[in-house]
Amino acid sequence: MDSTTDASTHPHPVEPDFVAFDLLVDALARWSARGPQWPPARRVKSEWEAVAPRLDRARRELSRVLVVGVIGGTGTGKSTLVNALAGGEVTAAGDVARPTTVNPIVVAARDVDVSWLPLDVMQARLVRSDSPAVANIVLVDCPDPDTQDLVASPAHGEATRSSAGNHNRDLLEAVLPACDVLLLVSTAQKYRSWIVAREVAAFAPGRPLLFVQTHATRDPDIRGDWRGELESQGFEVPRIFRIDGVEAAARAAAGLEPDAGFRELLDAIAGELAGRAARRVRRTGAVDLAAWFTRQARAELSPFKEPAAALAGGVVAERKRLEAILACEVGGKLRSNRSAWQRLIGDDVVARWHGGPFATFLHVIAALGSLWSRVRPGGGLIGRLLAGQPASAAVGNGGWQAVEDLGLAVGEVEQSRSVLVGFASRAAIGDPLVGRARLDTSCVPAITAAVIDRAGHWLGSGIDRLVADRRTRIGRPLLHWVFEGLFVALFATVLVRAGWNFFHGNLWEGRPVSGIGFLEEALVWVVLWGLFLRWVIFALVRLGLDRDIESLVGGLPSARLVDPLLADFADAADATTVWLNEGERLGADADRLAAAGGETPSLGRLRRPPG
Amino acid sequence: MATAMNVVGIGVVVQQDAQRSCHKKMVFEGMPIAPSFAAWAVSVADLCEQVDRLAPLAMTLGAADPRATDWHGSLFGKLKPQVAREPLLVAAVCGGTNTGKSLITNTLVGAAISRSVPEAARTLHPVASLAAGVAGRIDLAALFPGFQPVPWRSEEDALDAAANDVLVWREDPGGTQPARLVVLDTPDIDGTLRENWHRAELVRDAADVIVAVLTQQKYNDAAVRDFFSDAAAAGKTVIIVFNMVDWPRQRERLAGWLGTFTAETGVAPTAVYAAPHDFAAAEAGRITLHPVAELTPDGGAAGLGERLAGCDFDRIKRHAMSGAMRVVLDPGRGLATWLNDIDRAAAGWRDSQQFLKREGQVRVELPAAPRQIVWDEIWSWLEPRRSGVDLFVSGGYRFIGRGISWTAQRIGIGRTAEERQEDFATTELEALKRALADFIDRLDDACRRDERLGAKLGPRLASADRAAWYTDLERRHAALPLVSHDYRKFVRDELDRFAAENPGMVKAVLTGLTVGSVARPVMTLALFGAGAAAVPAAAGVLHHVVDFGVTVAAPLAGEGAVAVASKGIRPLIERLFAGWSAERGKILAETLHDVVLGDGLEEIARLADSGSRPELVRARQLLVECSREAG
Repeated sequence: MDSTTDASTHPHPVEPDFVAFDLLVDALARWSARGPQWPPARRVKSEWEAVAPRLDRARRELSRVLVVGVIGGTGTGKSTLVNALAGGEVTAAGDVARPTTVNPIVVAARDVDVSWLPLDVMQARLVRSDSPAVANIVLVDCPDPDTQDLVASPAHGEATRSSAGNHNRDLLEAVLPACDVLLLVSTAQKYRSWIVAREVAAFAPGRPLLFVQTHATRDPDIRGDWRGELESQGFEVPRIFRIDGVEAAARAAAGLEPDAGFRELLDAIAGELAGRAARRVRRTGAVDLAAWFTRQARAELSPFKEPAAALAGGVVAERKRLEAILACEVGGKLRSNRSAWQRLIGDDVVARWHGGPFATFLHVIAALGSLWSRVRPGGGLIGRLLAGQPASAAVGNGGWQAVEDLGLAVGEVEQSRSVLVGFASRAAIGDPLVGRARLDTSCVPAITAAVIDRAGHWLGSGIDRLVADRRTRIGRPLLHWVFEGLFVALFATVLVRAGWNFFHGNLWEGRPVSGIGFLEEALVWVVLWGLFLRWVIFALVRLGLDRDIESLVGGLPSARLVDPLLADFADAADATTVWLNEGERLGADADRLAAAGGETPSLGRLRRPPG
Repeated sequence: MATAMNVVGIGVVVQQDAQRSCHKKMVFEGMPIAPSFAAWAVSVADLCEQVDRLAPLAMTLGAADPRATDWHGSLFGKLKPQVAREPLLVAAVCGGTNTGKSLITNTLVGAAISRSVPEAARTLHPVASLAAGVAGRIDLAALFPGFQPVPWRSEEDALDAAANDVLVWREDPGGTQPARLVVLDTPDIDGTLRENWHRAELVRDAADVIVAVLTQQKYNDAAVRDFFSDAAAAGKTVIIVFNMVDWPRQRERLAGWLGTFTAETGVAPTAVYAAPHDFAAAEAGRITLHPVAELTPDGGAAGLGERLAGCDFDRIKRHAMSGAMRVVLDPGRGLATWLNDIDRAAAGWRDSQQFLKREGQVRVELPAAPRQIVWDEIWSWLEPRRSGVDLFVSGGYRFIGRGISWTAQRIGIGRTAEERQEDFATTELEALKRALADFIDRLDDACRRDERLGAKLGPRLASADRAAWYTDLERRHAALPLVSHDYRKFVRDELDRFAAENPGMVKAVLTGLTVGSVARPVMTLALFGAGAAAVPAAAGVLHHVVDFGVTVAAPLAGEGAVAVASKGIRPLIERLFAGWSAERGKILAETLHDVVLGDGLEEIARLADSGSRPELVRARQLLVECSREAG
């Protein structure tokens, strides 16, 4: 046996899971289409657009024959091998000139429809053959990749050179997309050719390969070294055939039985590329292609995973920073408006107390106080809320001034956004996903209005709750009547004293009547006592207020006040992270599916990038 | 008639078709011959020095890597090491993978110096065969730049994957190798290991004679064509060996193959040989070289070794040196194109610098300064110059003023000086942060719109911890006293100068400073010190911030103060307030310079100026001189 691996040692090929594959392709299509407007996602989408038609074709054209492209360096015997397989001279071969093959030759059986092959694009010539070797495949003798100039404008590119008009590699690159399987031919001189390796690597994804060493009678057996070279390039190499194309072609032309090495190749073609096997090969190739695409996509995206996560972390950190500033400022403003709190809670309590001398006294004081214009409450949202305005009316129309009144300076917001622009740019995230440090003027009203609206509702409900608690505590009837009692006690004392003076002092002991001077003095004491009691009420209002304000401000993060200011960065971080994770999941699915496809006895495949 | 000849070394088997006379064999005693190209030594050395000086700059400018160019190989690989040295003749055996280079080399030197194996691309390092005594006489590292010479131990040396860029050398033990001849086996020129290509190119650059090993599979491969085209362009003498020929069946094919090869590469071979395909002989380390007389220009049928040993060393050497000089002087592909690239790149950087100047300007709107800050400094200068009555009256005013302030603070309608300074500092820091954010935005934009700036500043802007930039600004701001020592000195110097120039105006200064207010200072911070000249008064304060200029873009002193002061005082007051504001803005400039941009701006300025570097001018002069010397 002239191959490096015994075919019988391989397990039977496993049919790919077609349903799972179809689901995977649909999921990949959705995933690549849903990618955010992000350069890496656009590149993945573009890669998908190149791969998708091949996958689609593989799903639709399961029953057609496989196209086998014979590729390799010039002089390796591609055309000779094609002639041997075709059973006659269908393509020029020999040693007269290099390159020998310029235009591709397509070899097909007479009954095989090849109308779907883009022969014009391939600039190929169709040759029919009755050879059993090509009865169930379409064979393409490809141009070589190594005689065209390496760069478009060669260093010594005089127009007179014949190689200046050599476009074999361009032609090869036009032919290979139509091929389902690659038959890579090489020799001892060419199996380590850089340019051949480059071309094969570019077209191998999703295309199973047969490896053939030619010139067997002239060259040493290099299959062991070639296998190592191919494996280092990422190929899985189950088998390398070794044949002598010249001898095989001569025997085929003479109608003789092929020799053992060529027989093995013919058997592999018949057993693994024709009939039902073709369907499996195409599907396996498609699964490999899908897995290759996901690997490429992950390789493309993996440098951005950490930066995208860092952006998400940056958003959290900057949000906390701004919330801390806001909490500090809002707390300070709430604490500094003591008189406003006093009015807000105390006036209401007083307004609800009726039916007693002290209540009457308080109402009189309030009425007298209203004769003077009250000190205008502090500006901004907090001032308006503490002035008793409902939240819906207090929020106003937003604008930076409103946010600054709340305690958050524009400079601090721009600092946070500037820091996040840095994180975003590390993740290659830019316009239109995220804006700049300085918010666009057209967006400012909506964003600041959202901040003020959130702040209004959070503060409004918080202040209402706090006020309601205190009103309940201060406004209890028992407390009211205690104060009434205290107030009336002095009043009663004054009356008792007046009665004592009159009945005991004047009528009983005969002292002269005190006159109204005593009453005037008593009235002053009553008023002072009333004012003192009023001060006690307001002291009770203020008691523990700082602690309650601190508790209110402690709940600021849950109100998500600053989210609208950093929303573009948070959304971009979420969108990219979710999309990246989805890509990882699909990649794992594709790898699992490709691994489940099993191995074929002779067909190699590209499993991973060179390493 | 077949004749076994021991020409270069031992055991070379040369198949001669006929007894023909070959070139007259020269006798070499190892004596150096002073050829004409020795006169180029000074110019070449100077040129290399200029190129070496320019190379880092060119790399930074984004010009093409000179090491990848033919002229660089000719200048540094051929002219520099050989122009002033003993004129050894370097012959290198070159070709694609598995074409039999090592076998041919071994045969040529008559010893197995480089292992020949069936697997391709195994020769990783060049192996040189030297005449006896050469290694002690010649600095091989200088002769073969890019390689570290190591003495030969075994034929496996060339296959050592652990070694890196070594050149294995061995002196001919038989003593028959001509004293001035060096023969080398080289790595391949078309395999998957690109390092091999590079090593082969280094050897090719140093060589005078190339033995091109071709096969019917490889004579028209693009990689092979490229390699030998460059050899032909550099005036190398080329001898072709067609190996693995189906001899004699393919003899008639050789003319066609040779025609294709010479037409494609421009090679004009001095001789052509054919080696029959004989795997068994090759395995045994033997090879037979048939001179192909009908394809050899002189029709000679001398064996390869004999031809090498018998050729006119000096003529070939001169030819190779002249060819190398031609490559360097070539106006379309030579050194001049690289100098032009540097010029173009420098012009591009000048455009980028201008672009950054235009875009990198930020308006900084600082809050109005607490009025007494500047006044106090001026008062303290005025103190010793005022009369006793004046001092008494103003002391009274101050006492009353302090009393009013104290009362206002107690009743809650005024703020303390500390509170006002705290308010000012908070607002000022916010303004500076906004300016910094704006600046970074503009830099990001500039990097997006200008590829060069993007390459230079983009990675720094993207990878840095921007929060640290703001922390740095906060730190500098917190550390900056409201009135610094520098500013005090600046005020005193200004007032001293003013008093000296306008002795009668000091009284007017007193009047002018007691009224008026300070307007909001507005500054424009610009990159590259564009506006520095506009603020001469502040220049002393800002002098050490080399790359930033702060331009005062709006009136700094209050109109009230200016209106009552005479014309002579107005500029003084403006300068005093401008100096104070400029010092505040300076911390932003420092953060930008020290933390955000680092040395990026100096680098851009250096690149923009690189077109006027003296090395460029000198290199062009040397090209003219070399052209004249080379005739």
